[in-house]
Amino acid sequence: MTAFSPKITAVAIGLIGGFWLAGVALASDTAATKLAHDVCAGCHGVDGNSVVPNFPKLAGQQKVYLLRELKDYRSGKRVSDIMAPFVAGLGDDDLEQLAAYYAKQTPAPGVVNNPGLLAVGKSLYLNGNSANDVPSCESCHETDGSGSGKFPRVAGQHSEYALDQFRLYATGKRTNGARVMKAVAERMTEAETRAVAEYMASMP
Amino acid sequence: MKLSPRFTTLAALLIASFGASAAPADSQQQPRAAGIETYGYTWNSPDQDMNRALAHRADPGKGEAAYKVCKGCHKADGAGLADAEYPQLAGQHANVIIKQMMDIRAGRRDNPRMYPFAGEWIVSAEEIADIAVYLQKLPIPAGNGKGNGYHLSRGKALYDKDCASCHGNAGEGDAANFYPMVAGQHFSYLKRETRESRDHGRRNASPEMVKVLKGYSDADVDAVSDYMSRLKAGR
Repeated sequence: MTAFSPKITAVAIGLIGGFWLAGVALASDTAATKLAHDVCAGCHGVDGNSVVPNFPKLAGQQKVYLLRELKDYRSGKRVSDIMAPFVAGLGDDDLEQLAAYYAKQTPAPGVVNNPGLLAVGKSLYLNGNSANDVPSCESCHETDGSGSGKFPRVAGQHSEYALDQFRLYATGKRTNGARVMKAVAERMTEAETRAVAEYMASMP
Repeated sequence: MKLSPRFTTLAALLIASFGASAAPADSQQQPRAAGIETYGYTWNSPDQDMNRALAHRADPGKGEAAYKVCKGCHKADGAGLADAEYPQLAGQHANVIIKQMMDIRAGRRDNPRMYPFAGEWIVSAEEIADIAVYLQKLPIPAGNGKGNGYHLSRGKALYDKDCASCHGNAGEGDAANFYPMVAGQHFSYLKRETRESRDHGRRNASPEMVKVLKGYSDADVDAVSDYMSRLKAGR
C-alpha cells in the first residue's frame, strides 16, 4: 500500500471536509467543539496540541489571533490550500467559537530539536539584534511567549512550523499579519530564524 | 458534464485563493518627499497627518499599548540603545516625537531602518499622538551613552553660543516650537544626527540649525554632542 504524506492526507481531509461543511451551519458552542474534535483534530490534535511539526499547535493560542487567522483563511487573505476548504462554509459565529475553543485548551510543552541553538535564540528573542536592526520578539509576543491579542502565542510552537512562517513572511508569500513580521523576517538570517524557532519551541 | 453548484463554489474558492497568492506584498519602501535640499523648503510646514495627530486628545494608556511594536528597539523604558544609535525617547516632548514620526512617514526624514515599523499600517496618526504623550511622561533613564569627556569645556562653549537659545540652557528643548530635548540623549545618536544635519543628510533639519553648524568640524560636533549627552534637564 502506498504511504501518504501528512500533507496529502491533510489536503484530502480538507477537500472532504470542505464538501461536508459547505452545507453545515454551526449554531452552538457544542457544535464548534464537535467540529474541532471530528475534523480539525485530524491535523491539530483533539485539544489543539498538534503532533505533526508542520501543523501549528493551537492550544492556548490567543483568541483574537485565531479568529483573525480563521477569517483570513476564509477570505483568502491568508493562503492555504489545506485550510481554505475547511473554513469556506463557516460563519463568523462558528469561527468565533472555534477560536474560543482552542484559546482555552492547555498547551503541551514543545519539542526542542537542537538544544545547541537555545542560547543564541534566547538572546535574539529577548534583545533582538541591533547589527541588522532586528527588534526583540518579546516586545510583542511577551517575555514568556504567551502572546497578546493579535500577537500570537509562540511558546511551545513547533519549530518547523515557525520556520515555515518566517520564510513565508520573508518571501512575501504570507501577507496577512505581515505588517510587522515581513520587515522582521526579511532582516533575520536563516541561522537566526532557526535559533529563535528553537527557543520558542523550548518555552513552556 | 454538469457540475453541481457546490463543486463549482469550491472550485471558485480554490481559484480565488491561488489568485490571492499572486498578489504583491505591501511595499514597505520609504517614500521620498522634498526636504532641505529643495528650493523653497519650509521647516515644519503643516502636514495633514501631523495635524491629525496634534489635534487628537492623546491617551497615554492607549499609547502604552501601541508602543509595543516600538519597544522591540527603543526598549520598554524608552531608553533606546546607545551602541545601535537608537535614540532615547523617555521624557521627550510629545510634539517632537509626533513631528519626527510624521517626517519619517512622509519621507522628509530618511530612515529606511525604522520606516517599516512607523507606517500607517502599524500606527495611526492618533496612535502616534498616544505613544508620544506616553513617552513624554516616562521618567528619563539614567546611564545614557556619553562621549569620552575630553572636550567638555569646548562643548559647553559651543552649546552656550549656538544651541542654548533654542534647545535651552539645560538641554530641555522647547515643546511649543518642536525643538527637541537633547539632555540625556545618547552621544552616538546626537553625533550622528548633528553631523547629518550639517551635511544636509538629515533632510528635515531646520535651516537655521544647518547654518549654525556650517563651520563645525567633526571634533566640534563630538564635543558639543558629548556635552549635550551630559545635560540634566528633566531629571
